[in-house]
Order: sequence, then C-alpha cells, then structure tokens
Amino acid sequence: MKRFLETGNFAITEGAILGGCRFFCGYPITPATELAEAMSLRLPQVNGVYLQAEDECAAMHLCIGASLGGMKSMTATSGPGFILYADPYGWALGCEAPMVVMNSGRVGPVSGITGAPGQGEFYLTRYPTQGGNFETITLAPNSAQECLKIIVEAFYLSERLRMPITVLGDQLLTDGMEDISVPENDDEMKEMGLRVWPRLYHKGPDFYPASDALDIPPVQMGYDTGALCSDWTPTVEGYDIEEVEEHHKHAYRLIYKVRNNPQLYEDFYEKKYMDDDPDLVVVSYGTPSRVVNTAVERARSEGLKVGALRLINLWPFPDRHFSRKTKYLVVELNWDGQLVREVQRAAPKDAEVKFLGCCGDLPTIPDLMETFTKMLKNQPLERKGWVLEAW
Amino acid sequence: MQYQSSALVDDYLRTRKIPSTACSGCGLGINHKVVIQAISELGLKTKDIIWGTAIGCAGRQTFATWKGDGFAGTHGRVYAIARGLRVALPRDKKIVLTVGDGDAFGIGLLHLIHAARSNAGFTVIVMDNLGYQSTGGQFGFTTPQGAKTDSSPYGMFEHNLMSEGMDVMHILKGAGATFLARHTATDGLAAVESVKKAISNNGFSLVHMPYPCPTNFGSRHLGNRNAVNILRWMQKHTAPLGQEKPDTIWATGVYHDARGSRPELSELVWDSVGKIRRTGKL
Ligand code: SF4
Repeated sequence: MKRFLETGNFAITEGAILGGCRFFCGYPITPATELAEAMSLRLPQVNGVYLQAEDECAAMHLCIGASLGGMKSMTATSGPGFILYADPYGWALGCEAPMVVMNSGRVGPVSGITGAPGQGEFYLTRYPTQGGNFETITLAPNSAQECLKIIVEAFYLSERLRMPITVLGDQLLTDGMEDISVPENDDEMKEMGLRVWPRLYHKGPDFYPASDALDIPPVQMGYDTGALCSDWTPTVEGYDIEEVEEHHKHAYRLIYKVRNNPQLYEDFYEKKYMDDDPDLVVVSYGTPSRVVNTAVERARSEGLKVGALRLINLWPFPDRHFSRKTKYLVVELNWDGQLVREVQRAAPKDAEVKFLGCCGDLPTIPDLMETFTKMLKNQPLERKGWVLEAW
Repeated sequence: MQYQSSALVDDYLRTRKIPSTACSGCGLGINHKVVIQAISELGLKTKDIIWGTAIGCAGRQTFATWKGDGFAGTHGRVYAIARGLRVALPRDKKIVLTVGDGDAFGIGLLHLIHAARSNAGFTVIVMDNLGYQSTGGQFGFTTPQGAKTDSSPYGMFEHNLMSEGMDVMHILKGAGATFLARHTATDGLAAVESVKKAISNNGFSLVHMPYPCPTNFGSRHLGNRNAVNILRWMQKHTAPLGQEKPDTIWATGVYHDARGSRPELSELVWDSVGKIRRTGKL
C-alpha cells in the first residue's frame, strides 16, 4: 500500500487505472481540469491513452468509440460540460457501452461560480439525456479515499451492467488534499474491497436479448461477429426497427437490468447514530456530509437524538431508507432543493421533511445545530430572506 | 418478383437490408454500389472494415447493410465516435463512414474538422442528397444556390459551403485532411477510383458524393419526381475539375491527395505512448 497526501483528482486517476481505464478523453473545465491533467501524465505510463476533444460532447463520443473498440474509458467534467454529454450519454445508455463519467459539481446555473462546490446536478444525473426509458446509476463519494474506491466500483458496475455510470462529486472533493492509500497488488485490492470486471465481448447474434440478466457482454466492434449498434431501437440482432413491441423489449432491458439487480449498488450508503430510531435523520451526500457527520456527533454529545444518513448510491434512489415516520432534514449544496424532493416522495406522507440549502460553501456546524434544535422542538425554521427559504 | 442479388451483394451486404427501404429512384444505391465496388477492387473482406453510419437517408439506409460489424452514431457525432474507435481498434481494421450532407457539413462539421486535424484513419463518404430529405426536404449547407426546398420556398439564398468562391473541401484541406475527392452519382468508375484511394489512405479521407433525391429535391426544385430527369439534371451540372462550365455546380475529381504526408492519429498516439513508457518522455 502506498500512501499519499493528494487531491481527490489524484485518487480518481489512480482508481480509474486500478479499475482498468486505459482511455480518457476530456475537455478543460474548472474544476475537472486537474483530473484531465493527471490522466495525461499517468495513462501513457500504463499503456493508456489521453486525448483532448473539441468539446465535451465530442469527448464522451470518443469514449464511446474507445469503449466500442474494447478499451475501458472515462471522461470527466463539471456541470456546464455535463450538459453537453446529453447526446452521447443517451447513445451510451441505448447501445449499452460501458464507461465512467465523472462530474465535479460547481455552482450553477450556467457558468455560475467556477471555483466553488455545488450540487446542482442531482436530477440531471438521473435524467442525463432525452427520451426516457432507461435507468441510470449515480454514485457520490465524500472523501478522496472513497473517490478511489467508488471509481473502481463504477468501472466494475459499468462492465457488469454494460452501461455508463456517473460519479458525482464537487469542487471540494476533487480539489481538496487528503491522506490516500493506493493498493499496489491484487491482495491489497481485495483487502480494500476493490473489484474489477474484465472487458468481454458479445459473440452474437442476439446482441440485445429481452432480459434483465447481468453479465451480458457489451457489443464490440472488430471481432467480426456481425455486431451492430445504433441510436435506433434495435431488434434482438441490432437491426434498426420502428416497432413498439421491439422497443418495449429494449426499454425493458435498459430499465430492469438496473432495477432488478439492486444487490450490486444498494449497499453504498453510510449510517451514523441510526440504530436507535432517531427523532431526526439528517440526509446528505458528498462533501456536505462531512460537516453533517460532525454536527450530528456534536448533537449526540448534547443529548439530541439525531442520526445521519449519507447516500452514496443516489440513483436508483434508495427509497427503502425513508420508510420510517420521523423528521428528516436534507442538507444540500444548492438553494433550490433537489434531493429533498426525492426524500419527500420516498418518506411517509405525514413525515416532516425540511431542507437546509447552502451553495458555494459548506454549511456551518452552528447553522446545522440550530436547525436540528428547532426541528426537534417543532419550531418553524427561520426565513432568512434571500439566504434561506424554509422548504 | 425475385430479387437478383449481384456478387457484390452476396460478398459484402446483408440481404435483410438490401434492397434498402430508400424511395424508388433514389440515387443512394448508385453511390453505395460505388463504395462496395471500390472495397471489392481493393480486395478487402468484411472482417477488414467496420462500417459506421449517421442520421438521415444516407445513414439510415446504409446502416446494417454491411455484412461485418457496424454502428450508427447520433446526428453529427459519428466522427468523434470513430476517432475513439480508431485508437482502440487494431491498425489493420479500416473504418468507413457513410453519412449525409447535413450530418457532415452541418451538425457534425466541428467534429469532422477535428477528425481531419488529427488525420484520423477513416474514410468519410458524404452521401449528399442535396439537403435534409428524411425530414421532408429542407435545404442544407451544400444545397445548390437558388434551390427551392420546403424551407426555401423562394429559392435558397444564403451563402453556403458551395457558394461561389467557397468550398467545404477548402476547409477540410486547411484542417489537415490527407485525401479529398468529389464525385456525383453520374461519375461511375472515376468515383470508384477515388474511393479506392480514400480507403487505402492511412489517414483522414473524405469523398463528397452528391446523389439525386427525386422524392423531395426533384419534386420541389425540378417540378417532378422522375428519377431519370434528376439524374440528367445532375449530370448536366457536373464537370471534371478544370473543365467547369458556367452552369457547373459540382466539379468532380480528386481535390487533395496528400496520402502518407503525415502520421495517422492512432499511429501517432500509440507510438507516443510507447515512447513515454520506454523513456519517460517524448
Ligand atoms: S427522400 Fe430522397 S434521398 Fe431520401 S430515400 Fe427518398 S429519394 Fe432517397
């Protein structure tokens, strides 16, 4: 095991290499640029390729091409670039091309604030493209070390489910320096719970079976199998077809290969002080969860029955965590409230669900403590003018 | 009626898709045959070529016609997909893309230029049906000046990429393409020769191949959807490079032949990666 004091971007780069990534294509954008730079340095050393594209749309398309040709590929961006992935993301979902997409969130809308953390793409990662009829997977680590693990895992899932996987971070996560351990051999990989799935290829002729089964190898070019893949609705063999029944089979696979295999991703969450049915559950993901965890510890030390639920697997949304009727406070790095809407939907109708928004900076522990106390005492959350609209 | 498949069809195409569902009288099949003929004359087999297509009549009607492996990209993006694929595929595999004029010269032009810049080793065959025909017949960026289409009912008056003094071929040459040619569907064997050169180029090649669309272009601009009529009209406005007449729209022949003049993208990439691995620097 090698130890480093390094950034989340470093951890992502090393994780990607451990996961088998040998092709990275990106486009410079703050705060994902350092990741591209690290890839440009590291990939050639491990017989990998770094290319820079003319825009993000092209970058992800190049990754698609590399993936079709048998290389595990990855791209990374921030919100303004992620929106340009809409076109290739749809293709990768429809054609079931494995790859990993990293989104390091900054403050929006549009170009917003480039050098500050934001969580404005919670829903966008669920619906990264048009057309519907698909399920997506989004994973959100909260530390550099976890970045490494989650990226390896994202590659693993992308192969087994033959689809793109999004890893959602933010500027603090990817730019912040932390202690990172990088495994140096297979035993150390195992010890750290890191799993790798090899790239296989489909031998045909039924490239698109109407099945939710796992481990159907991806459609690959160059093996002379007569492989076909396109943006149109495929027949089982891959011919384009305009037929509702064939489309239904296609959509069934895209949706249910993910929904019917939750064992692959549903363990990605973290619970703190959740065993005694707390009176208030604080829900968060990514870097804000680091502050939330500290605040919840403080609250416990002051005798408040507060628990912390941190989601790592954001999509498919883990409804089962919200079956209990209690109070929920959702903490996010945005002012409009995105995750909170899902929690409201998943929680019992008479559960109390509140929102604490913050953007460009993390919430403070006093702010969190004040909100915990008010919610536990059934006091209304203060409206702080433009700063905080009680949800 | 029994369909008589030629030897070319037997060797290279899927009978499930050929004959295609293109309109009767469509010129696409003529160009498609030119490409298959060139492949056959080069002695290439289905395993040697990965065939990519795009959106529109040209893309959809050629998708999955190739007996080997094939893919179709979203509108305008296939040049970016093909670059990634080029890097990942073994060097002996060739990539041929059949795309439309809207795809290459409209929505995909940026990616096309960067494919030329990087001298990515694939051949783009632009099957130009004179506009956006699968959406009913709107003008594109190489639609002849003055053409009446559904979106230019008074005649196409904008500058475009084939206006007087302008040519998309010049853009692509400047961007670094190493083989460029233009042939209309009436060019026959000359077109086959150019496509052979294009495919044999270890670098970025593009052959612009305008063909007649009787259904939309013919009926709007020429007043009828008679296939022979539009083919004759196209022939009248076609002349070899250097022998243009005042009414020539398409000057045909090889525009630029710099095959072998600079390294191909994937060669450059893998040679560089190899050097970095061995020596730690370039
Ligand atoms: S619309 Fe025109 S280009 Fe398209 S298939 Fe019909 S004739 Fe051919």
